[in-house]
Amino acid sequence: MELDLFIRYGPSLLSGFAVTILCWIVGSLGGLVLGFVLACLYRFGPAPLKWFIFGYVEVIRGTPFMIQLFILYYGGPSVGILLSPVQAGIISFIVYGSPYFAEIFRSGFNAIPEGQIEAARCVGLSETRIVTRIVLPQMLVPITAPLTNFFIILTKETAILSVVTVPELLYETQTMASETFTFVEPFLVLSIFYWLMVIGTSRLGAIVETRVTRHLRRT
Amino acid sequence: MAQDQTHEPIIKVRGLSKYFDSFEALRDVSLDINRSEVLCLIGPSGSGKSTLLRCLNFLEAYDGGEVRLEGDLIGWKSTTDNPRKPLKSEALRRQRQNIGMVFQQFNLWPHLTALENVAEALINVKRMSKADAQDKARVALAKVNLSDKERSHPANLSGGQQQRVAIARAIAMEPKVMLFDEPTSALDPELVGEVLGVMKEMASDGMTMVVVTHEMGFAAHVADRVAFLEKGRLVTCVPPQDIFSRTPDDPRVDAFLKTYRERNVV
Ligand SMILES: Nc1ncnc2c1ncn2[C@@H]1O[C@H](COP(=O)(O)OP(=O)(O)OP(=O)(O)O)[C@@H](O)[C@H]1O
Ligand SMILES: [Mg+2]
Repeated sequence: MELDLFIRYGPSLLSGFAVTILCWIVGSLGGLVLGFVLACLYRFGPAPLKWFIFGYVEVIRGTPFMIQLFILYYGGPSVGILLSPVQAGIISFIVYGSPYFAEIFRSGFNAIPEGQIEAARCVGLSETRIVTRIVLPQMLVPITAPLTNFFIILTKETAILSVVTVPELLYETQTMASETFTFVEPFLVLSIFYWLMVIGTSRLGAIVETRVTRHLRRT
Repeated sequence: MAQDQTHEPIIKVRGLSKYFDSFEALRDVSLDINRSEVLCLIGPSGSGKSTLLRCLNFLEAYDGGEVRLEGDLIGWKSTTDNPRKPLKSEALRRQRQNIGMVFQQFNLWPHLTALENVAEALINVKRMSKADAQDKARVALAKVNLSDKERSHPANLSGGQQQRVAIARAIAMEPKVMLFDEPTSALDPELVGEVLGVMKEMASDGMTMVVVTHEMGFAAHVADRVAFLEKGRLVTCVPPQDIFSRTPDDPRVDAFLKTYRERNVV
């Protein structure tokens, strides 16, 4: 291995890592929020909206992320949507993740026994309070693991953003590889970076899970 | 009028009907519940006891007839609209605060401690400060003899203790009426007594109570009147001695009670 390679390409690899982290965090948190809104509208909204959300979930889940990204980035200009690669990457990341998040939240809603909600109605709690005080805090128990899992999957999906020239980790790694004709070193670094994200996410998920399940433990 | 009100029934049920699709779960039920009265609802499984109870606080939207609490129509804006229009959720919530309910499955909120379960609605519905709400919740927990368990989560309480927390949660709201749907049916036999004891105490404090129960001993000794339902119809509503200490006039009630007599519970 040639160490000076890393000194030369270190800055661009680090910048690629930063772009990956940015797209991943903004994109997946955006998807999380959008997914939650969709799940709430699906549960509490009027019937026509439910059908719309159902269709949205089916279509987005049924098509590959790369195609969605292509449509937004290359097809966007023809309908007047001009986006930078990073903008297109983040927006499509939000859209791509949202139905999966919505499904996780939907199953979380279903995990709360109806009786608890009836009990809340009986003492006069409003529907909003029922969601924020009764449903959400408990929902974290069954959804933390699938959420963590999906965040981990999304770390690696960021690699697809390289196809629209987002200067993220894979893009920078490929640049380094093609310019230096080395492969082991750049992709080793790439793997380490992804591994750091994955390990960080799963540790965080474990901490959250310990916190939210505390009340269930018998003392 | 105002002074007359205490002699008026607190709840009036008139011509109540309820359908689940085409299945008629309640047919033409009329019933008065007086202030400080304990009314027990008995009847075979599937006869509509829970449905009737749940219509009283509009957990089930009844289809025909009316339920009035102190003259106030529960759940619907009026009975003359066709189709009927439900009250705004704000108004329904105000009505429900007057009607406490205790369920067979307790339905405590497992992520909250006993104290938090009781204080939740005091804070978020009655808008009390946290400190005042907790003081009031402690009083309610003391009434059900659970002062020492206020920091426990439901997972660490026995069934009987959980049900008593559920009762405290309801009475802390100072309802005018309490509804119980088989409050002891999910309990181990040795825990039934502590819950019934609390309920007896509430009855002697003058709480108006409607109790769906299979505890015929409770019905016989605590109830002021016992209502018998069958196939969605109210068959009879009489003082307990009329059905427990002699042969009931109605053969259907007699047949139902026979199953208990055979097991020596009455
Ligand atoms: N949500 C519902 N949808 C459809 N049918 C229902 C529903 N709730 C109750 N029923 C039906 O209505 C009838 C009365 O039910 P209800 O629960 O009121 O009986 P119950 O007297 O409380 O019986 P149990 O002693 O078993 O609790 C039953 O035949 C039941 O199957
Ligand atoms: Mg029932």
